[in-house]
Amino acid sequence: MSQTLIPVLLAVPLAAAAVTWLARPPAVLYAVGAAAHVTILALAITLLTGVVGGAEPHAFGRWLVLDHLGGVVLLIVATVGFTSAVYSIGYLHHELTERAVGRGELRRYFALLHVFVFTMLLSALAGNLGLLWTAIAGTTIVSAPLVDFYGSREPLEAAWKYIVLTTAGSMVALLGYLVLYQAGVHVLGVSYDFSFSVLSAVAPRLPAAAAATAFLLVLVGFGAKAGLAPMHTWLPDAHSQAPSPVCALLSGVELNCAMLGILRAFALTAPAAGAGRLRLALLAFGVLSMLVAVVFLVSQRDFKRLLAYSSIEQMGLVAVGVGAGVPLAVSGAMLQMVNHAFSKSLMFFATGNLLLRFRTRAIGSVAGLVHDMPATAILLIVGVLALAGAPPFSLFVSEFSIVSGAAVAHQWAPALIVAALLAVGFLALVWPFNRMAFSAPPGSAGQGTTVNPIVLLPAYLSLVVVVGLGFWVPSPLHALLSGAARTLAP
Amino acid sequence: MDLTEYVLAGVVLLATFWLLIARRIRAAVNGYSFQSWALAAVCLVTFLQSGRWHLLVMALSTAAIKALLIPAVLRRLVRETVYDRRETRYYVGVPSALLLGTGLSVAGFVVARQLPLVRDLLGEPVLGVSIAVVLLGFFIALARRDAAMQLTGLLVAENGLLLLGLVLGAGLPMLVDFALFLDVLVGAVVMGFLIARMHETVGSTDTSELTRLRG
Repeated sequence: MSQTLIPVLLAVPLAAAAVTWLARPPAVLYAVGAAAHVTILALAITLLTGVVGGAEPHAFGRWLVLDHLGGVVLLIVATVGFTSAVYSIGYLHHELTERAVGRGELRRYFALLHVFVFTMLLSALAGNLGLLWTAIAGTTIVSAPLVDFYGSREPLEAAWKYIVLTTAGSMVALLGYLVLYQAGVHVLGVSYDFSFSVLSAVAPRLPAAAAATAFLLVLVGFGAKAGLAPMHTWLPDAHSQAPSPVCALLSGVELNCAMLGILRAFALTAPAAGAGRLRLALLAFGVLSMLVAVVFLVSQRDFKRLLAYSSIEQMGLVAVGVGAGVPLAVSGAMLQMVNHAFSKSLMFFATGNLLLRFRTRAIGSVAGLVHDMPATAILLIVGVLALAGAPPFSLFVSEFSIVSGAAVAHQWAPALIVAALLAVGFLALVWPFNRMAFSAPPGSAGQGTTVNPIVLLPAYLSLVVVVGLGFWVPSPLHALLSGAARTLAP
Repeated sequence: MDLTEYVLAGVVLLATFWLLIARRIRAAVNGYSFQSWALAAVCLVTFLQSGRWHLLVMALSTAAIKALLIPAVLRRLVRETVYDRRETRYYVGVPSALLLGTGLSVAGFVVARQLPLVRDLLGEPVLGVSIAVVLLGFFIALARRDAAMQLTGLLVAENGLLLLGLVLGAGLPMLVDFALFLDVLVGAVVMGFLIARMHETVGSTDTSELTRLRG
């Protein structure tokens, strides 16, 4: 059955994009979008249940494969893709009625959104490294026009930086994959199937120097796309200028696809190159990213840029978790990816509602939200506490696992630095949103238009997940995460 | 046959220097087209040597997409948006760019010596050329202020990667090559679209004027 399920899953967003391109009335675009993403979610959950049950669904030989590591990313793409699509409907309908966008732009938006989700699904499902690279590089190309959606000067600048820097990064990663292919040639002969299952069987016999070179190239190249410092400079621009539902996908989902490209290379090169050396490189980039992010978090005046820098911090933390190497930290890093996806998209939905109403991203211009927009204020406060990692939310659990895992692995210096950075980052993140919610309302309260309730629904869904995961990680999810962790820290 | 492939690889490298010193966007596009023809010739020669059909398909698609289609799209863009005779500005001037470019080429050959290579179709000198072309492409993208010039720099780096793929991974399945071509083509079109928008909203394609986003 899985033979057909995977191709169907990939065909759904493409079909939705085609129908969207042909359709005119906004209602049809909304219905197609919602139906497509419900279908994707249902198919993905069916497939993931199989993976947890011990199956390894595949299609077209080894071109498309679903394993535990890809499964974590598939889960994120399908769930956050669904909430972002529903949020897009509410957000863009508001923009349409406000005449901020036209009908043609609406059609372009939804068509690109579906293709964007397709490239991310393909990243999670690609079983061949060449296909994996193409899918990950493709995510940038499709999403750059979405970053430029509003078409004024700033979004254009952000989109240009985004496409140039991440394309250059992807090319460096391709260099790494080609070196990895060549390393495989030493064992498998000049022509072989460039898929994980084939390579991982011979991974310990690859030439060590070539394997290490390959990993470093992929780490630097896709690190640029995953937002690791010092290659992160495009990220705060792109992730703050795009429309809010796109920001949720860029920050919550796309970064994880690039991280998947790095982790796949890690799993294949570590046995030959020595896991210790490679982990050191991950730790170094992770700690540096967190440091840079926290410095900019503290001095930030724009609430969407604040969330963007927080993404750099969180991806840095994922790199630290994998770099620490002990199972506790690595499974913490996997949980961290899931938690970050939900809580960051929640925050972009909540701040999107503010943008629709106040048309400003300046932290200082928003006050007294608890009186003005109580439903959104609750989202912001609970969301920011969850994102910053306050107990009892799930990010506290994953952050704690990563830091204590690093300590267990005797990585004392990274553990201490990371713990300190998380504490500073917590305050830098919670304080501005706290002020926006609770400070005295401005004299001219009640200006702006009211926001339709569809923008609240996906945000509250994410909120339920974020709160729920803090108390209870369902056992299939736990199995998926620990299965993924085992491929990175056997 | 070795001599042919070395000469062709040398032509690919020389074409990169053409782009490095080009002052006008039209000249850079011509340089890119020329380089892509040379690359297609390399594919053709390796096909004649090995008789693997997918190399012939690669030669034809390189000629069609990279030597004809993308340059045509870029030329149209240049005619419509950027005045094609205008000289573009540099962050790094021509003399220093030549000097640095030569240094980068040498670096490419040095790196190539470090990689343990199992020779399939092409040997180590071509590996050196391909790494040099990738590095030079990135350098062009960095050293130029004009968005269209930065795009040609990235395209040159991608040509280098294609050559590198021929040396390191000639055994890769053809589907992968096609996926890469699709990425390049769509990427070039999207970037061209952004350049046109830039000309429309900012009034120029000089990226040193894009400095609104900071902090």
